[in-house]
Formats: sequence, structure tokens, C-alpha cells
Amino acid sequence: MERTKRLLGHTSQRSARALLHFMEFLGGAVGLIQLFFARLKKPPFYFNLFIEQCYQLGVKSLSLTSITALSTGMVMSLQFGHGLERFGGKLYVPKVVGLSIMRELGPVLTCLMLAGRVASGIASEIGSMNVTQQVDAIRALGTDPIQRLVIPRVLALLLVAPMLTVVADIVGIYGGMFISYFELNIPTEFYFHESVAALGMSDFMVGIGKTFFFGLIIAFTGCYYGLNTTGGTQGVGTATTRAVVTSSILITLSDFVLTKLFYLVEQWVK
Amino acid sequence: MEPKDKPKVLKNGEPMISVRHVNKKYGEKVVHQDINLDIRKGEVLTLMGGSGSGKSVLLRSLIGLERPDSGVIEFEGRDISQLSEDDFVEVRKKIAYVFQYGALFDSYTVAENLAYPLREHTKLSNEAILAKVSATLKKVGLAGSEELLPSDLSGGMQRRVGVARSIIMEPEVILYDEPTTGLDPYNTKQILKIILQLKALGCTSVLVTHDMSSIFQVTDRVAFLKDGKIRALGTAEEIRDTKDEVVSAFIHGETM
Repeated sequence: MERTKRLLGHTSQRSARALLHFMEFLGGAVGLIQLFFARLKKPPFYFNLFIEQCYQLGVKSLSLTSITALSTGMVMSLQFGHGLERFGGKLYVPKVVGLSIMRELGPVLTCLMLAGRVASGIASEIGSMNVTQQVDAIRALGTDPIQRLVIPRVLALLLVAPMLTVVADIVGIYGGMFISYFELNIPTEFYFHESVAALGMSDFMVGIGKTFFFGLIIAFTGCYYGLNTTGGTQGVGTATTRAVVTSSILITLSDFVLTKLFYLVEQWVK
Repeated sequence: MEPKDKPKVLKNGEPMISVRHVNKKYGEKVVHQDINLDIRKGEVLTLMGGSGSGKSVLLRSLIGLERPDSGVIEFEGRDISQLSEDDFVEVRKKIAYVFQYGALFDSYTVAENLAYPLREHTKLSNEAILAKVSATLKKVGLAGSEELLPSDLSGGMQRRVGVARSIIMEPEVILYDEPTTGLDPYNTKQILKIILQLKALGCTSVLVTHDMSSIFQVTDRVAFLKDGKIRALGTAEEIRDTKDEVVSAFIHGETM
């Protein structure tokens, strides 16, 4: 009984600490977003750093997000194919896979992969700069860490997250087509035709629309934890882990809200 | 800058930076308690004291990396203690900061590190910037190291590149955070030589250091901080021969 009480006490303490930490993060992130918009209006804009970040965060993530999408498309096709076959619905595979990938799995999985690769990269890079006083050096040399470190990364992610998702959507659908042809004996022409017929502009827009929000979540979370890193190399590790965990949770949670929101918008437009 | 905020033209020996009634706390910990200090144009002033005495925070406050909770810090007659980050840019062109371990941008070469403030704040051509970088590296005894990365340099060389990056904009005041701590005698001598050369050019320097042997070779005055207050302030000789037991014990390496 004593042990259970102790465990419960320990668990509730940990939960309270986690909640407090999350509230602290929310407050800090809102402050960072305010600074971002305030600084965005002011020169200079470091275009070369923006291009470099597009390469670092976007081009270098392409293989990861594409492989994830390919695998997802293939698995979905296989699962739905064998699952629907029992009810005689095998021919619905192209539609189901296409819609799932374009509206949901393409954007969410791409951005979760980005959260793993990019949020951690941003947090560790800026965090290392912070603990080695390079961020202070940027300020001491009369320049602004927000303009040099945060703005290029946020804008780069706003651009590359949707672009990577478009590529992931295409790769995922082709992955599904590949497996459907070899495993389910669905002809590629039929698959392609059915996919195109099932997917509308609204499906594409809903999927891509989410990625702007996910991109912002990844960038601001990574930058926030990087800029608030303390405690040397151990602190960098902690900041990196927190950036990945927080951005992944926020992407997953916001996905539901955004999906609901986009459905409402779709209904309103119709 | 408003006309009333125009910097005063100062002569050597006149207060260039004035710290008035500065207080600073981190949570419950009191870092500064009513600090008052004048830093005179052209002098080398050393801030001395035990760990946690608030000397590094005071140094960082002079360039706006920390802000006092209350009190005033005047630079050339203008209160800079509550300036916005944007307004601080002009001040930071005149006050340079040398970080303890150099704080060089590790993805940039030595030349790119030195060129950074020039590219940000001047309209010099690339050729002029590279010429100035080479000349400044020569001043700190590191000619020919332009293409090296900070990771290729020893700790002492990184510090000297840090000094070079700070002096390349020809600032009026240079703040050094532990410039010689942990360095070998050769690099210590090189750093002290640079400080004296800059002093000869009229540059004001403020040092934070624990390195007793080197302080007295270069410093004009010493301010000793203890428990967030300035306990002793005087010329190097006055501080060396002080009757204050705490200061004397610190200087002579005895326990306080």
C-alpha cells in the first residue's frame, strides 16, 4: 500500500512537472512566434541562409520522406487489397489508397518524419550554438539570432514541407500501384484512372493545407528548444529529444483539429 | 538616435561607461547590489572576484547580453541599460565582446568569422574585407590561417581569432571574459600583448579574469567584487598592497 502511494505520488509529480513544462513551452513558443513576425518585417533578410536551409531541411529529407511514402503506399495497397478482397471490394483499392495518402497519410507521415529529422537537427544545431555562446556572439556582433537562425528555418520549412508532401503523395500512390499490379493483379491503367477519378482538388488542398501548420510546428518547436538549451552537451541531448517528442505530439493532436476544420471549410465552400 | 542622445566627445581618463546603482537578481539569488562604477576612456579595468561574484554578469550587462533589474548603465552619456535589441546594434559596433572560449561560428572558416561583422555592418567590397581580415589576423599573430576551421585551431588560437573578430570593427571598448584562463604561457603572452597594443591605440578595455599573474601586467585599475558589491576599487598597485583581508587573501591565493 505504501509503495503504491509512493508510486502514485511520484507519477502525479512527474505529470505535474510535464504539464508545467508544456505550459512553459507554449508560453515561450508564442513569444518566439511574436518575435518572428516582428523581425520578419525588418531588414536584413538572409536569402542565402534561407536557400541553405531549404537544402538542409528539404532536399536532404527527400529520400527519408519518399521511402516512407513508398512503403506506406505499398503496405496500404497490400492490406486493403487482401482485406477488401473478402468482401469483393478489391477494385476499390486505388480509391481508398489514393484518398488515404493524399488527405491523411502523405502529410502526416511526411511531417512526422520531418519532426524526427528536422526538429531534432534544428534543436541540436541551435542548442550547440547556444551552449558554446555562438548565439550570444551573434547578438554581441550587432546581429539578431531570430533573423539569422529562426526566420530562414521557419520559411524554409513552410516551403519544403508542402513540396515534400506532394512528392510523398505521388510516390505513395505509385507504391500502391506497384503492389496492386504484382500482388492483386490490378492493371496499372485501371489503378491510375481510378485514383485520378477519386481524387479532387479539395483532397489535395486539405492534405497540403495541413503541412503549412505542421511545418510551423516543427520549425518553432526546434528553434524554441534550441534557443532555450542550457547545461552543455547533456542539455543539447535533452533539447533534441524534447523537440522531437513535442513536435510529434503537436502534429498528431493538431491533425485531428485541422482535419475537422478543413471538413467544415469544405462543406461551407460546397 | 535623438539629438539629445548624441554621444559625448570624451578625453582620455573621462568616464566612458558609468554604472549607477545597478541591481540584478536571478530568482532569490542576488547577483548585483547597488553597483556603482566608472570605466574611464583609454584605461584597462579588471573585474576580479570569486566564482559567482557577478563579474561576468556585469561584463555582459555592459553590452546588453544581460539587463539589470534596476539602475542605469551609461555609455558616452547615454543610458543603454534598457535599450531595445535594435537600438543596441549601434552600441555593439562600438563595444566588442571577447568570449571566454572565442565563441567562433564553427561552420565558418577563420576568414568568414572575421568577415562576419564587416559584411553585416559595412559596405566594404569583398577584396577590402579580405584585406582587412588578413591584416587583423596578422595583428594577432595568425597570418595565413584564413581558410582553417575553428576545429582546426588550438584553444589559444581560437581565443586570438575571437579577439581578432572583436577588434576588426575597431571598437572603442573591448570587454574580455577570462581572456587568458587555461592558456599556455605563449598564448597568454600574445593576448596580453594585444591588449597592450590596443591600449596604446586608445582603446578602453574591461577584463574579467582569475589569472592573477597576468592581470597586473596590463591593468590600470582593479574592481574587486564580493557578494554582488564592489568591495575594493583602485589602481593595480593599491589593490596588490591592499590591507583588506578578503581582497588580499584572494590575490595571494589564500582561502577567504
